[in-house]
Amino acid sequence: MRPPAAPTIPSLSDDVTVFREDAEDAVRIVSGMLRRGEGGEAFRERRRAISWSATEAGLQSPSIVEESGTAVRVSRGKDSLLVACDGDGAEPLRDAVREASRRAGGAPFFKSKAAGPRADDRGPSGPDEEGRATQIQAALARALPDPRGFSLTLAIARVTVSRAVVTARAFVPCGEATRLEATGVLRRPGSSRSFAFQSSAPFSAACDALAKALADATRPVPAHRAPEGKVDVVLSPEAASVFWHETVGHPLEAEGGERASVLARVPRAAVAPPGYFVTCDPTRRDLPGSYLADDEGTPARAVPLLDDGRVAGLLTDRRTAGGDSNGHGRCGDFRRPPRPRLSALIVSAGRASRDELLDACDAGLYVREISAGHTDAESGRFALFVESADLVRRGRLGAAVAPFLLTSDVLTALGGLWGEAGDVCAPASGLGLCVKRGEPLPVGGASPAILLRGLTAAPGRP
Amino acid sequence: MTPPDDGLFEELLAASASSHDGEGGEVYERRGTSLELAEDERGFHASVSTERGFAVRLFRAGRTSFAASGAGGARRLPAEARLLLARSRARRGVRELPAPEGALPPAPPGAPQRPDEIAARGLLVAFRRALASASDGAVLLAEAALTLGARTERIATTAGRDVSFGSAAATLVANVSARTGAGRASARVVAAAARPEELALARLAHHAVDRVLLPLKGRPLETGRYDLLLDPLVAAPVLARLARAFFGEDEDGLLGARTREGRDALASPALTLVDAAGAPGGLVRTTHDGEGTPQGRTIVLERGRLASRLTDAAAAHRLGTRPTGNAFRRAFSEPPAIGVTNFFADPSSGVPPLDLLRALARGFYAAVLLSRPQVEIAADRFRLHAAGYWVEKGRATDAVSETLVSGRLSSLLRGIEAVGDDLKFVTAAGGGAGSPTLFVPKWKG
Repeated sequence: MRPPAAPTIPSLSDDVTVFREDAEDAVRIVSGMLRRGEGGEAFRERRRAISWSATEAGLQSPSIVEESGTAVRVSRGKDSLLVACDGDGAEPLRDAVREASRRAGGAPFFKSKAAGPRADDRGPSGPDEEGRATQIQAALARALPDPRGFSLTLAIARVTVSRAVVTARAFVPCGEATRLEATGVLRRPGSSRSFAFQSSAPFSAACDALAKALADATRPVPAHRAPEGKVDVVLSPEAASVFWHETVGHPLEAEGGERASVLARVPRAAVAPPGYFVTCDPTRRDLPGSYLADDEGTPARAVPLLDDGRVAGLLTDRRTAGGDSNGHGRCGDFRRPPRPRLSALIVSAGRASRDELLDACDAGLYVREISAGHTDAESGRFALFVESADLVRRGRLGAAVAPFLLTSDVLTALGGLWGEAGDVCAPASGLGLCVKRGEPLPVGGASPAILLRGLTAAPGRP
Repeated sequence: MTPPDDGLFEELLAASASSHDGEGGEVYERRGTSLELAEDERGFHASVSTERGFAVRLFRAGRTSFAASGAGGARRLPAEARLLLARSRARRGVRELPAPEGALPPAPPGAPQRPDEIAARGLLVAFRRALASASDGAVLLAEAALTLGARTERIATTAGRDVSFGSAAATLVANVSARTGAGRASARVVAAAARPEELALARLAHHAVDRVLLPLKGRPLETGRYDLLLDPLVAAPVLARLARAFFGEDEDGLLGARTREGRDALASPALTLVDAAGAPGGLVRTTHDGEGTPQGRTIVLERGRLASRLTDAAAAHRLGTRPTGNAFRRAFSEPPAIGVTNFFADPSSGVPPLDLLRALARGFYAAVLLSRPQVEIAADRFRLHAAGYWVEKGRATDAVSETLVSGRLSSLLRGIEAVGDDLKFVTAAGGGAGSPTLFVPKWKG
């Protein structure tokens, strides 16, 4: 039961050409900035989004946005400084280094150089963009063949983010990732729901996934209410990823000290049944949130979090682990300092078929989609918002139920895992952007179906 | 690090003017500077950031397109927006804006002032002391982050509008935790103000203490029928969720349906909802909105009855009214959309909150929210997960660790019998949302 091999669907490009024009110069500048006893690096980011506002009638107003920025980070002892400014060329880097040095008491002098021509000056008018707009329009039409009695307000964007870190020794590309995002509100008479979607798949596949997600989201909400109180739950592979993200991923981010979270307090303890292996793997290029190096320039690597059911490790950055960072320092954008954040959680598959899991559940709920969740890592309490689920009666699927809330605490929930997981490991559907401290980051996951005993169900919509 | 005034704005405005009949353009520039000081057990972190961004919107026959970038790529924006314009769909009311009536010549945009770092460090120290004093050391400050920001904005159109203005903001975010024999709890609390000196540090400290200690020391409260007193910090996020119902035209017909096209009241006569950019204590203090329209005070709900709507220029044109100055730009890279400035329940007819507390014969005083409130206007439902105190004959008798207050939203709004005079604001809905204490007698649910 080892984590499955990664499929080879490229969504992350290691060909980060946009920052290479002055890479050697940049390394020299960063190297000259740092004094004895100081650590630090420069971080460059470019973000380009072509987006559309959309309603049930189709695409409405287009927009194009390009932002770029440079941050210089310096740490000395327990203190650190970040200076950020617009632009990702040589001159913004010099500006940021000047300001950082001024604040640190130094006064480096750089000659200003004229900015060279920028790479990647593609406009929004190419045939590619027209074709993509047509594909999005077609996806909307497929999702809403008959929009009567229904309204939606969506922002759909194709976002490309390129990042690189310049250390005192080398230029380190973090990667260039492109994703399709959609956020907004879907309304029917008497009900409304928010909608969020993200896919790092190639554009056509992402449009197909968007059409499917929209079609699912626009189905009428079942009137049948989920049972309240203690309940056994089978989570589909798509929903299980959200569970792992909230209950294992966040509590094992090394923020707030070694004993700050319910799992960090029990290293090597058996918290789940044997046979469960959970790994945070930012190298899985088919999943959102992957990268080549983290936002501090540490190469990405897979970190086991649960090893045969035991707590195995923490996700660290340089601030929490110094030189032993395991490559999980991530920032929402160049203006924010990196913090330990998870990327994609991969859970090993077991041997149970879905029917066997339902049989073992006997009476409970089969959860198809979890739209959101949150965890208090200190106390271990978590909540999952279930958007789509069916009743399970005598081991068989029954009626669909209205949205509801699943709550428990991390140790109880992991202890209540059935000994065998499902036999198919599939990517998450409910994961996209993880917002922590107001900083959104793309995240992914892949998990088999799981059976959890003794969670608490409560009405989800007020 | 802010570049000198280089004429880029004027260059973009000239490039946005077109020979096409009926085509117009709008150029927006934002310059910002921010300082964040964060302190945790691992040390002290300072972030200094500057920003200069441009956005161009083009209009032609109801169509619009938008392009934005930092200063480095700004010269391409008019051409990019022009290419996108052909693919846009027309919508009534979308057009460039002329100069507002009685407009003054714009002040030079200039660079925003750098935040005062020494004052910021003083505020962090003051908060740490306030928290220690409020909790007698029982609550630990895991992390505190203070952000001070200032920005200047300029908006001009090819039809003659040219407006510039400045604003500032301060935010303190604290992660606190407590460990008692009953367990552990942590929480993230936020205070915001239009100026650093207006940050209510002592109030935030008390709020943080209640937020982590009440769930550990109280007992759960079962649902039932009792009087309900909502603290301003509980009521304000609920009112914030109502704001969207007053945006632009009522496309969903929600409020019309709830009030039988205005014949019924939406809320009790005790409730008047206002949006005002210059509200005392409010988090937003600006003179113009994101389209350059002067801002004022808009009453959207007067003594429980629908009064008006919050609009940007396009929605106002469709409604046949004057724009209320509620076009909101979250960032230079986002097109303006309708939003709030300071959206609040008017406390002018309010009474001291202690008088409201004394009016509780047997009830629950909701002091803190334990999770985001759920408010669904379409389904007419709400739910609050709150902690607070059980009150009998005007005196708190027990701590309540958690309870769910839920039911019909219309029943809650129509059940408000009195409001306090203690208006407080929280960050919400892109601006500020405020409420005084709200008293709802004989609530069931």
